[in-house]
Amino acid sequence: MSLKIRFEQISKRFGPVEVLHEVSFGVAPGRIYGLLGENGAGKSTLMKILAGYEQASAGQLWVDDHAQTFTGPRQAEANGIVLIHQEFNLAEHLSIAQNIFLGHEIKRHGLLDDRAMHAATRHYLDQVGLSADPATPVRRLIVAEKQLVEIAKALSRNARLLIMDEPTATLTPGETERLFTLMRKLRADGVTLLYISHKLDEVERITDEIVVMRDGRFVTRAPTASVTRQQMANLMVGRDVSELFPPRLPPATDAPEVFAVNHLKVPGWMQDLSFSVRAGEILGFAGLVGAGRTEAFEAIIGLRARSGGDFAINGQPVRLNNPRAAMRHGLTYLSEDRKGKGLHVDLGLRQNLTLMTLERYAHPLLDVAAETAALTRAVHDFGIRTGDINSKARMLSGGNQQKLALAKFLHPDPKVVVLDEPTRGVDVGAKRDIYFLIQALAQQGRAVIVISSELLELIGLCHRVAVLRGGQLQTTLDADQLTEEALIGYATGTH
Amino acid sequence: MPLAPTETPRASLRWLGKLHAVGPLLGLLVLCVAGTLLNSDFATFDNMMNVLTRTAFIGIIAVGMTFVIMSGGIDLSVGSMAALIAGSMILLMNKLGTGTLAAHPVAVVGLGITLALVLGAVFGAIHGLLITRGRIEPFIVTLGTLGIFRAVLTWLADGGALTLENTLTDVYSPVYYGAVLGVPIPVWIFVLVALLGALLLNRTAFGRHVQAIGSNEQVARYAAIRVDLVKTLTHALLGLCVGIATLLYVPRLGSATPTTGLLWELEAIAAVVVGGTALKGGEGRVFGTVIGAILLSVISNILNLTSIISVYLNAAVQGGVIIVVAFLQRSRR
Amino acid sequence: MKRLMCVISASLLALSTLAHAAEKVTLGVSIPTATHSFTAGIVWWANEAKKELEKQHPDLKVIVKTASAAPEQANQLQDLLTVNKINALVVFPFESASLTKPVAQVKAKGVYVTVVDRGLTDTSAQDAYVAGDNTAFGKLPAEYLAKQFNGKGDIVVLRGIPTTLDNERFDAFNGVIKTHPDMKILDAKYGNWNRDDAFKVMQDYLTRFKHIDAVWAADDDMAVGVLKAISQAKRTDIKEVFGGAGAKGAVKTIMDGSNPLIKADVSYSPKFIYDAIKLTAEARLKGEKLPANTIIPSVLITKDNAKQFYFPDSPF
Repeated sequence: MSLKIRFEQISKRFGPVEVLHEVSFGVAPGRIYGLLGENGAGKSTLMKILAGYEQASAGQLWVDDHAQTFTGPRQAEANGIVLIHQEFNLAEHLSIAQNIFLGHEIKRHGLLDDRAMHAATRHYLDQVGLSADPATPVRRLIVAEKQLVEIAKALSRNARLLIMDEPTATLTPGETERLFTLMRKLRADGVTLLYISHKLDEVERITDEIVVMRDGRFVTRAPTASVTRQQMANLMVGRDVSELFPPRLPPATDAPEVFAVNHLKVPGWMQDLSFSVRAGEILGFAGLVGAGRTEAFEAIIGLRARSGGDFAINGQPVRLNNPRAAMRHGLTYLSEDRKGKGLHVDLGLRQNLTLMTLERYAHPLLDVAAETAALTRAVHDFGIRTGDINSKARMLSGGNQQKLALAKFLHPDPKVVVLDEPTRGVDVGAKRDIYFLIQALAQQGRAVIVISSELLELIGLCHRVAVLRGGQLQTTLDADQLTEEALIGYATGTH
Repeated sequence: MPLAPTETPRASLRWLGKLHAVGPLLGLLVLCVAGTLLNSDFATFDNMMNVLTRTAFIGIIAVGMTFVIMSGGIDLSVGSMAALIAGSMILLMNKLGTGTLAAHPVAVVGLGITLALVLGAVFGAIHGLLITRGRIEPFIVTLGTLGIFRAVLTWLADGGALTLENTLTDVYSPVYYGAVLGVPIPVWIFVLVALLGALLLNRTAFGRHVQAIGSNEQVARYAAIRVDLVKTLTHALLGLCVGIATLLYVPRLGSATPTTGLLWELEAIAAVVVGGTALKGGEGRVFGTVIGAILLSVISNILNLTSIISVYLNAAVQGGVIIVVAFLQRSRR
Repeated sequence: MKRLMCVISASLLALSTLAHAAEKVTLGVSIPTATHSFTAGIVWWANEAKKELEKQHPDLKVIVKTASAAPEQANQLQDLLTVNKINALVVFPFESASLTKPVAQVKAKGVYVTVVDRGLTDTSAQDAYVAGDNTAFGKLPAEYLAKQFNGKGDIVVLRGIPTTLDNERFDAFNGVIKTHPDMKILDAKYGNWNRDDAFKVMQDYLTRFKHIDAVWAADDDMAVGVLKAISQAKRTDIKEVFGGAGAKGAVKTIMDGSNPLIKADVSYSPKFIYDAIKLTAEARLKGEKLPANTIIPSVLITKDNAKQFYFPDSPF
């Protein structure tokens, strides 16, 4: 039931660029490994080689002491190795059962045997603890449930080694906890788990051993219990990462109220929400997925129907009927969905940066030189690392894309900026940069609203945190009241 | 965790990337060389002008179509729209020309031209509103109007031809047959429309917004772009281009029939796509569209100038060239 | 109450006439919709026949249906049979092959079938066949041009859309020209019976051939495009443009002598649908049959006889 893996001198080259340099290490069965490294360290490439999505340029992969070269994911799957992608590979319009058996359908007399597939699906869903009808279309599931379906699918393929790439990036604390329980259960069944995450607290909690990679090389491995989080971060970055969060600088006591929301009602999501934020203040929003945080702010900028609520900016009542009106009044919102709603990954950096404020550059012809100058400044101010200033946004790493997105939504010079999951899928170095940036924004006198599912982020960064649950504001905690227990308590209603 | 290195272009692929941009132009040059070898009359100034003049209609429409396709839309109705605009112009001009304004044929033609432009823009704006406000797929909206426009023209013409009165034809025909500096007027207008189109697409906020919407509509919406307005404007712009093409078309034969503009929509879309604009939107060039449109008419010109291939196979040659050029400029994955 | 009685007796009366109607002729006419001027002429002439004949014969009912594609026409035939209960049919089939079976089914139900223009692949599916003369359509212009140019000259040809009909015409034309060794067909390309395409093809002919004596445009619509291309190029070598079908505009030009290039035409009038309906209706009312084949002859139209072919009210 369990599987032993050894990488021997694995190298991978894309054209002239070598992204993996002779990586060697082994993985023992029935354990949970945390695979650590910054973006670009080569973790994903190595895992893709293991799961058959890529082939090594040199070196040998050993599975249970047999030399193996997988030419495709199906072959790896046949050997019990399954990779669960960060972005799921589920067909949204098919049902759970259809997804689980996609390409492996059970047939009777040449026809699909739905009854058998539904029965088997129910069995796997029980194993992962998801109580949903197998006939439910996947698009109706929330992210956490889709993740469970992915794991159920892996189990249906008799997975003996499961690779999970950032599985908790989109999960709330409660859902993460359930996932960890499932992982421990799988480990008890003899399944080997390779766990890639940027969340070091989670690595500390769930893994037995860590493997650190940097710049395409194997750096070290150690039992998790023997290293601290700070040490992990230092190993990943290769230097000493000082404090992750900037020192908290409170807004001036006489700082004016910049943005106020009164009695916001969003059908299906928010019953009644009122809050305000002052100049220089960082206000956090905590809550489980489905608590209505994103939906509330989408409604505020007019992208979602609302049935009530009024707004004031700098004390003046304003009508925010569409994102343009919101921007004109000095409010911008950066979505949590970076590639789907935040950035045009197929357009250049310059086009992305100036998109919201083109009228500033159109006289009426666009002044490309001025745009380029603005980009050069933004690249410097926001610390965007890019080889080629003329490249497309998709060429950037996740962290740098996020910095570009921040630059874009700050380019209109908003008085209020809403950042939804600003560090999702971003490595530890870029995270720190973003935290310092957020603090600098507050210091410039802007009101900053941060929506996050990472409790440590909210605790480390915010002056106040509002906790939502089931479409209602539960409480607003001041900095000195911020603890993980308190946040989880209010978010889950167990306080 | 995206793998940056997989996406850095390989040196060996660089030149292919450049080929991608000049593919249509290369195809056109090869065709021109082939044409000259097959028939020395091909390279004459008169023949070039013939080809460019007849390209003007499709070319002007294709420039407008570039905007619509760039924004992720499509318009199947342009041929029928051109036919209906042509018919309406002729009816109006005949009525005015035999009535109150009989003594001022130039004014009559001027009013006819104005009608063409206004009708085109209005039809386009109606498309835009049905698509954005009505939330109907552009394919369906314009498939519907494709039938409506042509049926209305056929009804207006009783199934036959609408023909412009002779006196008016004499006044109007220089718009198609006249020349400035030896170059026919439709070619000048084609060049003008193409230059303005390129400027609008590449150097104005509107053009950038069009590209942003085609690349990812959701992102554009979140970036405070007035998506519905911009989409409606692209359709109105295309309608205006159809109006311009039609006002050049009418003086050529002085008539509109139910076969006027038949299949123009496919030729225009083919010109846009052969020219390197992605059918799914977000990426495109007006210059490429112009080359694409010229390329398509050069093919049939060469086929008419030679008889090495059975006339039954003409369409196959055109189809083959389109596929080869599309291959040359296909975007890298 | 009295009023009710009236209604009842009226409906009884209606019933009795209905019973009597067994001897009446209900004639279905199935033709293509008007998409270009020729088919527009067909529709116009069919309705013209309906108007005239129904006025003359109270026992006759004519139902005209148009279809825009072969499958639609097949459905229409069934409707005519089951809904309208026709006992005679005049059909202008979209395509020969795909409509042979549907027409045969109608005939099997005892309906008298006259097929117009395009013959069916199985002639047993029809009672009578009425058609224009496609051979003469190609032969007459060739003979005329040979005579005009004394058996000597260079001719360019525009063809229609690749169909058997077009082949018949072109083969007939070609056959005559071949008997004159000094006459030459420079090339023959498709202009799709369309003014715009004919314009382009002619422009390219003019670029390619420095000397042309005559153009056989093979269609009056295509001749319009050809003439525009010639006048644009200011070519004077071309002495004759011969269209075809006898469209109203072309006949008028010949009558008035207003264009020196257009001196003659050949008739192929959509009026044959009128003739077919009239022949069928009158024969059926008398209980007679039509001859198996009726060819409506194509005639050379010149200034002398143009008046007989000019119908100002027809769209064609």
